[in-house]
Amino acid sequence: MSRAGEARIDGVAVAVEPGDSILAAARRAGFAIPTLCHGDGLHSEGGCRVCLVEVVGARRPLAACCSEIAPGMVVTTTSDRLHVLRRGILELIANAPGLDGARLASADTVFARLLAAHDVAPRTADRAAAAVASHHPYLRFDPSLCVACRRCDHACAEIQGNFVFSFGGRGAATHLLIGAAQDFSASPCVACGACVDHCPSGALSDVDRLAPRPGESRRTSSVCGYCGVGCRVEVETHEDRVLAIRGVEDAAVNRGHLCAKGRYAHAWQRSGERLTRPLRRVGADFAEISWEEALAFAADRLAAIHAAHGGGAIGVLTSSRSTNEAAYLLARLFRTRFATNNVDCCARVCHSSTALALERTTGTGAATTSYGDIEVARSIVIAGANPTEAHPVLGARILEARLRGARLMVIDPRRIELAGFADVHVPLRPGSNVAFFNAVARRLIASGAHGAIDRAYLAARVEGFAAFAAFVASQDEDALLASAGIDRETLDRAAGFLAAGPALFVHGLGLSELEQGVASVESLVNLGLLTGSIGRAGAGMMPLRGQNNVQGNADMGAMPNRITGYQRLDDPRARERCRREWGEAPPIAPGLTVPAMLEAAADGDLRALWIQGEDPAQSDPCESRVVAGLEALELLVVQEMFLTETAKRAHLVLPAASVFEQDGTFTNAERRIQRVRAAVAPPGEARPDWRVARDLGIALGRPVHESALDPAAIFDEIARLAPESFGGVSYGRLDANRDGLQWPCADARDPGTSRVHESGFVRGKARLTCVAYRDSSEHGIDGYPYLLVTGRELHHYNVGSMTRRTAQNALAGGDRLELAPDDAAREGIASGDRVVLESGHGAIEVEVRITPRIAPGTLFLTFHDPATHANRVVTPALDPESNCPQYKATAARLGSPPKN
Amino acid sequence: LVAPAADTLGERLETRSSPAMKRLERQSAGARHQDEGKAATMQHEDVTVSAYRHARGASGSPLTALAAFAAATAGRSVGAGEIEAFAAELDLPAAAVRGALSFYSDASASAADARRVCEGLSCRIAGAVPAREIANARGVHCLGFCDRSPAVLDARGDVHVGDEARRIVAAPGPPSAAKAVDPPPPPAITSLASRAIVTRRIARGDFSDLGTARADGAYSQLERALRRPPSFVLDEVERSGERGRGGAAFATAVKWRACARAATPDVRYVVANGDEGDPGSYVDRLLLELDPHGVLEGLALAAYASEASGGIVFIRSEYPRAFQVMRRAVVAARAAGVLGPSVLGSSFAFDVEVFPGMGSYVCGEETALLNAIEGRRGEVRLKPPYPATHGLYGRPTVVNNVETLVDVPAILELGADAYRRLGTTDCPGTKALSLNHGFARPGIVEIEFGTRLEEVVAAAGEGPDGAPIEALVLGGPMGCVLPRSRFVARLVYGRESAPDVVLGHGGIIALPRDVDAAALFDSALTFFRDESCGKCVPCKLGARELAARFRKDAASATSPGFSALLEVIEAGSLCAFGSEMPRPLRQWLQLFAPRISRREPE
Repeated sequence: MSRAGEARIDGVAVAVEPGDSILAAARRAGFAIPTLCHGDGLHSEGGCRVCLVEVVGARRPLAACCSEIAPGMVVTTTSDRLHVLRRGILELIANAPGLDGARLASADTVFARLLAAHDVAPRTADRAAAAVASHHPYLRFDPSLCVACRRCDHACAEIQGNFVFSFGGRGAATHLLIGAAQDFSASPCVACGACVDHCPSGALSDVDRLAPRPGESRRTSSVCGYCGVGCRVEVETHEDRVLAIRGVEDAAVNRGHLCAKGRYAHAWQRSGERLTRPLRRVGADFAEISWEEALAFAADRLAAIHAAHGGGAIGVLTSSRSTNEAAYLLARLFRTRFATNNVDCCARVCHSSTALALERTTGTGAATTSYGDIEVARSIVIAGANPTEAHPVLGARILEARLRGARLMVIDPRRIELAGFADVHVPLRPGSNVAFFNAVARRLIASGAHGAIDRAYLAARVEGFAAFAAFVASQDEDALLASAGIDRETLDRAAGFLAAGPALFVHGLGLSELEQGVASVESLVNLGLLTGSIGRAGAGMMPLRGQNNVQGNADMGAMPNRITGYQRLDDPRARERCRREWGEAPPIAPGLTVPAMLEAAADGDLRALWIQGEDPAQSDPCESRVVAGLEALELLVVQEMFLTETAKRAHLVLPAASVFEQDGTFTNAERRIQRVRAAVAPPGEARPDWRVARDLGIALGRPVHESALDPAAIFDEIARLAPESFGGVSYGRLDANRDGLQWPCADARDPGTSRVHESGFVRGKARLTCVAYRDSSEHGIDGYPYLLVTGRELHHYNVGSMTRRTAQNALAGGDRLELAPDDAAREGIASGDRVVLESGHGAIEVEVRITPRIAPGTLFLTFHDPATHANRVVTPALDPESNCPQYKATAARLGSPPKN
Repeated sequence: LVAPAADTLGERLETRSSPAMKRLERQSAGARHQDEGKAATMQHEDVTVSAYRHARGASGSPLTALAAFAAATAGRSVGAGEIEAFAAELDLPAAAVRGALSFYSDASASAADARRVCEGLSCRIAGAVPAREIANARGVHCLGFCDRSPAVLDARGDVHVGDEARRIVAAPGPPSAAKAVDPPPPPAITSLASRAIVTRRIARGDFSDLGTARADGAYSQLERALRRPPSFVLDEVERSGERGRGGAAFATAVKWRACARAATPDVRYVVANGDEGDPGSYVDRLLLELDPHGVLEGLALAAYASEASGGIVFIRSEYPRAFQVMRRAVVAARAAGVLGPSVLGSSFAFDVEVFPGMGSYVCGEETALLNAIEGRRGEVRLKPPYPATHGLYGRPTVVNNVETLVDVPAILELGADAYRRLGTTDCPGTKALSLNHGFARPGIVEIEFGTRLEEVVAAAGEGPDGAPIEALVLGGPMGCVLPRSRFVARLVYGRESAPDVVLGHGGIIALPRDVDAAALFDSALTFFRDESCGKCVPCKLGARELAARFRKDAASATSPGFSALLEVIEAGSLCAFGSEMPRPLRQWLQLFAPRISRREPE
């Protein structure tokens, strides 16, 4: 007899957990029940019936995948009868019309193994099989191998939130449908590949897979090198080639899922354009030199400039694309050897406003939540972010949460994909966040409705409520709405949305990259506090980080006013730690930010700049100023994989190892530190960034014993330097816990922190900020009727140096200027026309795409192609506190290109 | 349609005390009062195209638009651009539109094939010419005129029966040539029960007019119930022991109670299942045409008891007249304040939409029917979750057969105690049987549960010439084939029914002495092959394999391989369409093996 709470499977007592299927319980107990249409983590289809089991008391066998196990149940998973049934079912499938039985049986697939295990040999191949659909760069469908199990359909809907597939006909003729015309290219497919991973019969396959002979390939567990989501990947390699990339099934971040870029866009790794030897400028050209020569040249020039002009004349940008260890070591070197705090990274030009605002209001300048809160959230607000394109795997998780019933509000000038799924879309004028958020705060406080604001939370955990309430009460709602370009009904709906309770605020560069960047985030935090969201499950602030390790770069101290772990330069305890670990402490006075360094370079005050894998010449605003700064330098050293626009202007270019070619750690947007592992050797003489930093240090006089430093030892030093944040992080723990650790993680027993401020704010009480909206220097300029926003699209990544060297080009063409239909009609512009886009800072010629996604009066432009020169047009305006540039609002006008 | 799809131990063991159902009831009862209700429902949440539409802010059903698109594009190829534009308009993915349209017979039929020729069992026996031999026609499984077979539905929506039907299909020329005709008169409607319940109104004529119906007492029980709490209706129906008349015989009040307790606050639905697909039964057609207000009153009472506010009547496209009559009845009821924000002046808000089917037998199964209303492919869903908690658009939904709903006002009028005195203890009440033209007196016969089949056959006067009927088909294609020796069997749902006897929805087709059993066996196989929804392998591929083998070699029907395949289909199929398919096939073979296996191959 079974005890209560137990069932028996093949005579063995197993514990019953509520909601478990027979299949799940059996698998936990070690029984293998064959399955075909069942996909782990997917809703049961229950159609193939291969997983039939016998249950005492049931009139007929039950499908184990979709039958709930109950206490007292007696289950048989293996019997002659079941074998005959399963065999009969498999015979029906294998001999179904239109299928190529011979190929189905001989492939290396789940289905072929099922056939073999049940002694099923398909009778014939059906020669009338339909043509293979292969108009897509990555995906292929072979109908003669499709058993219509529908796992692809479930995967598409339940992982990507997409509906590319359906089924046509009925009965035996039921067959897979793809989009409107059996063609992935002409469907909503985003090429995430989830369907391929789930296909059990080889009908859906990857076009790009280079087939290795079994046993010859190697698999390396690592982290994706594209955006800041931080998906765990398994990199399959053969010798020095990346063959294929897969998502790691059990990864906390991505659960096996990837986007097109992460999964397929790796051909750049073997591009012939990779840099393989150090290059030294000789006149207008470059000459290849040895590493010894290169390091000696760099060390000599830096030492000479330091000797002549002091540390203030030297600056360094660490790379948000590279590892924590690389960033840390390079920042340490410049802070100690040259006594300069001119240390920064590209976080400056993305989330510096966010970090500053979150630190000021809550005490910690990073996400207060984890991705896991997405599935718990009842309400999600997306503000100034476009996750389904810029952070696709996270975007899919948000879309899934919405499809499963979460409420959604999107605040964005563009009708981004998620806006189509939103309860409320607020298409505010670019740059007007503060006006709109203040208007919402005013409404929430003024509302008499019970629970519109969380008064208990405010009383216990927040300071400054009375002053804030008075401040917003003094604001003129009509003026706020006019500034934001929003009508009263939309405000009503937005306020109503937030009055329903705590929300998860997913925010991005549409807040941060403005003159009022810090104020935008502070005023969003105000809403987070009024609704009692921060520190709660399924709620809080979740800034999405743009680059794979931009969070880590800031964490490592790649900031002119902070050292590792956000420790202040004037903190005596931190200085003592520096002296202990580094031998000396950096200057107390903060250094220059990226824009300030470029300005100082143009002015002749900054003479040497070391850039570790960044391309400000293409990516930073107001190209003419950036280039003027770079070209005025006495010494520009660039570590790069390709000869980028910035590298072309360098005096010394050092060939860099890619994400597939070096060891270290990345930290994602939820503060999760994960291990990156070399899967192949770098091409030619390219070197890992951390090693270059170490060897440069030795060339500059650091102790020779440092040549023993490796990434693990570097991280140990990081942990000692910033124990409150990273004291408990070590490679031993990161290797054992494959999902890594989320900082703060203070000691070896600390499991890390998924949700900050849960038991109390780091700064004591959180702060409400009274900040009024003001127009930026780009608003209301006569003769410039548009506000230009720049940003990313799905299939390319930043400056495009990687994605433009892959088949992504077949999925997305060059940069296009998006224009609203009404504006296009008024200007007499058609889709595909070339126009001159002009601001007060520069002009470019660009092709137009007319789309209702964009609000009238707004323009949107991607910046993925250097030929576009998008940043020639973008304003040099900055947030005065964070120095984050205003990419998200530049006054612009359109003209006709000159006739030739 | 017979028993609903069920893939749980609970429902298989014993329908009435299903532990899975009880567990759900308990969960939902608790969850209703908790803020975390959403978490409890999420575990079953399937991410469907309906979730996609809902998240995009689309409301209502796309079914009517799909049906209109299908009609507008019938008989020509539809380009990808056209599909995409239409899909965008409906907020549906393009593939989902293609998938739904290709599922339904009506949508894939050519516009030229506007005439629908009944190829149901009764019409086949009457010697109906198959559609493939007729110009501008397509076959359908039943038009519900089995008392006057054969039957043809013309392009105008008019039905022709008997010799007129034969004449029309023989005449050449375009389908529009058919002149408007009066509908065939209703069949004889009689009762063997001590009291007529479901036929109480239709036996006396046409009550489709609201005034006529109200003069006969329609909506008086609703009016009375609205003065009492919903629990009054629920308790009364529970005590009556009423079971679903569609064939599954599930306890009506259990569904209602589960729906009323389910933890979704925004809306609950009740659906009248007017997808009477079983070839051979036609009582639902008559109820919809002659007593639509009886259906609506039952539906409103079901809604009141289940705390639902949305009502739907789903009517198969083979019943165009029933559809028109019901639409008019709803408009009239709404205009009279019987439906709407204040039903009969009460605080109860309830309104009804009428939706057309698009040609699929399986849509009579409740979850397939819900998918059809959502504009999806009419395939069965896995259960649990049951519609009572996760039904239309994932909302708690009660699906009741038309006949069940017409019973409900009568139960309230009589009172549960009096009602229970009809029928048997385990299965109280009455059931309408549909007798085909193979009887001397065809038509509807209402009986009390427990009545012996032989009493019905005797009352109908045996065969047309009075000669004894030797065999008949009872309960539709998933029902049973019974020889005269089994006419002693009692007609009843549940444990009192003999294992070889399936009452189903109560259709009875007498088999003539010289019946071409091989042709009927073949047509049964064709029916199973063509109507399998395609959701599960044993049914969709097994039915095709059976038909293919039999066509190739009739002798294979008696082979061990055929029998083994029947076992795979019976044991392996997901829903009752598959699991109930083998029994009647075996019974055909038992009775007529020599005739069936000697058939010449095609």
